[in-house]
Amino acid sequence: MSNNQPQPAKKTNNPFDIFIIGARKGLNITLNNLVPNILMAYAVAEVLRILGVMKMVGEIFGPLMFVFGLPGEAVTVVLTAWLSSSASVGLAANMAANGILDARHVTILMPCFFLLGAQLQYMGRLLGVADVPKRYWPLLMSASLLNALCAMLVMNWFFA
Amino acid sequence: MSEEKKEQTQNAQLDPSQWKAGPLAFFALVVAILFFSGVMVKFPDMKWLSAFDFTTLVGKFGVMKELGKSTFVGSGGFGARGGFMFALSLVPGVMFAMGMIEVLDHYGAIRAAQKCLTPLLKPLLGLPGLTGLALITDLQSTDAGAVLTKGLYDDGLITKKELIVMGAWQYSGAGMIANYFMIGSAVFSYLTCSIMIPVTLIFIFKFVGAMYVRLMLNTVYKGDFKNEQ
Repeated sequence: MSNNQPQPAKKTNNPFDIFIIGARKGLNITLNNLVPNILMAYAVAEVLRILGVMKMVGEIFGPLMFVFGLPGEAVTVVLTAWLSSSASVGLAANMAANGILDARHVTILMPCFFLLGAQLQYMGRLLGVADVPKRYWPLLMSASLLNALCAMLVMNWFFA
Repeated sequence: MSEEKKEQTQNAQLDPSQWKAGPLAFFALVVAILFFSGVMVKFPDMKWLSAFDFTTLVGKFGVMKELGKSTFVGSGGFGARGGFMFALSLVPGVMFAMGMIEVLDHYGAIRAAQKCLTPLLKPLLGLPGLTGLALITDLQSTDAGAVLTKGLYDDGLITKKELIVMGAWQYSGAGMIANYFMIGSAVFSYLTCSIMIPVTLIFIFKFVGAMYVRLMLNTVYKGDFKNEQ
């Protein structure tokens, strides 16, 4: 998230003003980032539902996702997370509203949205900008995937 | 792209005689016509075709089924309309969370976090303490963290190996605090545990991932760093 806009010349010390600055950032990000992403996720979810992809994927990945205490359909959320955190959260919210996921499943998935989140975008925004040699990008990606899978296991065993 | 070139491309785009339309363009046109025309819902035998219809995908707003219980989002909303109303319902929470984080940050919460983090860096990740600021910044803003990291490497303050370990720490769960409270808030109401537990877990796993990368660099990729002290 780029919430490091240039600071205004006059720095305020009034906590109420500072709150307003933060709230304004929140509004900008929700309107420009969250709303378009979730809208798209809902539309894509509708396509997947009509085409029956969701059901098919659910049956194929059922045994795999069972390890994490999740229904097979949840694999779509995990795969989407790799492309975009907000889209995957939107998809999870959509599936929860439709009864495909329950509260426990969402809880298990929660760390995964971010640990695996938006890797495609961050390749450019983080690894590219910081000049991490490309040779090691796959290693870093495998670390993120490992993180996400382990975090889901931990959530499943202890917290959900 | 230089200014002059940009101008030329703009002129080319303005001049209709220079427009190019390949096979893909015509295919896109056909898709556009089919998508918006409503033809795709006219085949009762092939219901799946409706997945490519505008009116179907634009969906419906939820309806207020139970007075006194339903919010403006309603229930049963789907498609673009359903998603829009749902996303709109998140705005106040995100604004409030970001406002509070801004205030707490102003009073030094982030600086305090950096102080707590620094002693962990050397034993766990083999990173010098001066990397703490870049790592902590990454929790709030991926882009700012990336720029600081590059600065450290360009100034010769960290080695290539340390850069990669820092990259690993930042890459998984980048922008953790901002993303969690902004995007994650969409599903906070479903959580069966405290909202602090997943975010703490993400923070811990950032270390786990970076330690795994450090281990790999010290073993599998050992040859790459022979010339570094």
